[in-house]
Parts: sequence; structure tokens; C-alpha cells
Amino acid sequence: MKNTIRIERAVKNITQADLAEQVGVSRQTINSIESNKYIPSTVLALKIARVFEKGVEEIFSLEDSDLH
Amino acid sequence: MRTNYLFPFNSRYVGIGLVLLHVPIKLLWDSLYPKGDDYHDPTAENGGFLFSTPHLFFIGTTLMVLVGLFLIAFSKEKIEDEQIVQLRLDSLRWAIYLNYVILLFSLVFTHGGESNHILMLNIWLPLLFFILRFQWVLYKQKRSAKSDETRL
Repeated sequence: MKNTIRIERAVKNITQADLAEQVGVSRQTINSIESNKYIPSTVLALKIARVFEKGVEEIFSLEDSDLH
Repeated sequence: MRTNYLFPFNSRYVGIGLVLLHVPIKLLWDSLYPKGDDYHDPTAENGGFLFSTPHLFFIGTTLMVLVGLFLIAFSKEKIEDEQIVQLRLDSLRWAIYLNYVILLFSLVFTHGGESNHILMLNIWLPLLFFILRFQWVLYKQKRSAKSDETRL
């Protein structure tokens, strides 16, 4: 699963720490999600999407490798 | 948030204190009673009394280490989020794997009195391995987050 959090953060001009605080996780977790090392739970994905005022599928999307 | 049955963050310091405190106490005891260990070995001469002082001392120090390791292993992180929960479970799985590999090896390659020592080792080995593995992945994660921060 890939995501556009890094881009969305740049658009909104917030840091990883800001986003982490708003969704109630550590900065390391946001970093792991951005670098595709950790796949967030549905609840966390929805919370992140809410911060950017977008639908969850606009931020998170499946990759080819997820489909097999 | 669901209950996660973990100790408060600061209890890790109590745990570290207990593990460290056990070292000088054990050294002092060993220098006072060089053959003290015989007293909780039922096969040794004078041994076998369940509530003899040396045996109570042995129980006391073992409990100190165990409770200490337990508190270190199962205290909350500062921010106990879902990724930490996953890393914790992952480390626990590795600790159990390693423990059983060692158990199986010792089952095959030891016999008699030696197997008692293996049993003693198994009391604290899973906890110790869990702590080391968990802290190692946390350290690696923090380091990679930090290098990303300087890069961006």
C-alpha cells in the first residue's frame, strides 16, 4: 500500500510531528507510514485522511503487489 | 483506547533498579557464604530445607531479577501507539521462538542435573531476549526517523 502523506503534508505545510500529534501517534510511526514500512490500521488511516480533509482513498492506495 | 495491560512508563526505572540492586546483594552474599548455593540444592549435604535462610535468599534475589525484567519488558512507551503494539508482539514472538529452540536443543543435548540449569535459564531468557529485541527495533526506528528528518 502506498500513500501521499508526504505530499499532503507539504501542501498543508505541517511537519511529521504536527501530524503525529493531531492523530495521536508518535512521530516515528508517521515516518514509518510515509516510508511504507508500516501499514496503519483503518482507524488511523481515517484519522490521517480527516486531517487533510480528504477521502481515505485519495491518500492511501493499493499497489500491484497487494493484489496477489 | 483499549486496555493494554501494561505498567506505567516510569515502572521501567523501578525494574532497572531491582535488576542492578540484585548484583551487589548477590556478590555480598556469595562472599559471606561461599557455599551458600548448596543450601537450596536438595542433593547437597545440609541442603533441602525449603525455608532455610540461603534458600529464602535465593528466592528473594531470583524474584528481584524476575520482577525487574518483567517491569522493564512490560512498561508502556511514552507514546504507546498501534505501531509500538505491533513491534511489541513481533519481539515477543521472536523471544518465544528463541526460547523454544534453546529448550529443544537442551532437551536433546543435556541430561540429569544439567537440565535443571536450562530450566533456570528459561525463567529469564525469554524476558531478556524480548527486551533486547524490542529496544533494538525501537532504536533502529528512531534512528531512521531522525535521518529522514535531517534529509527532508
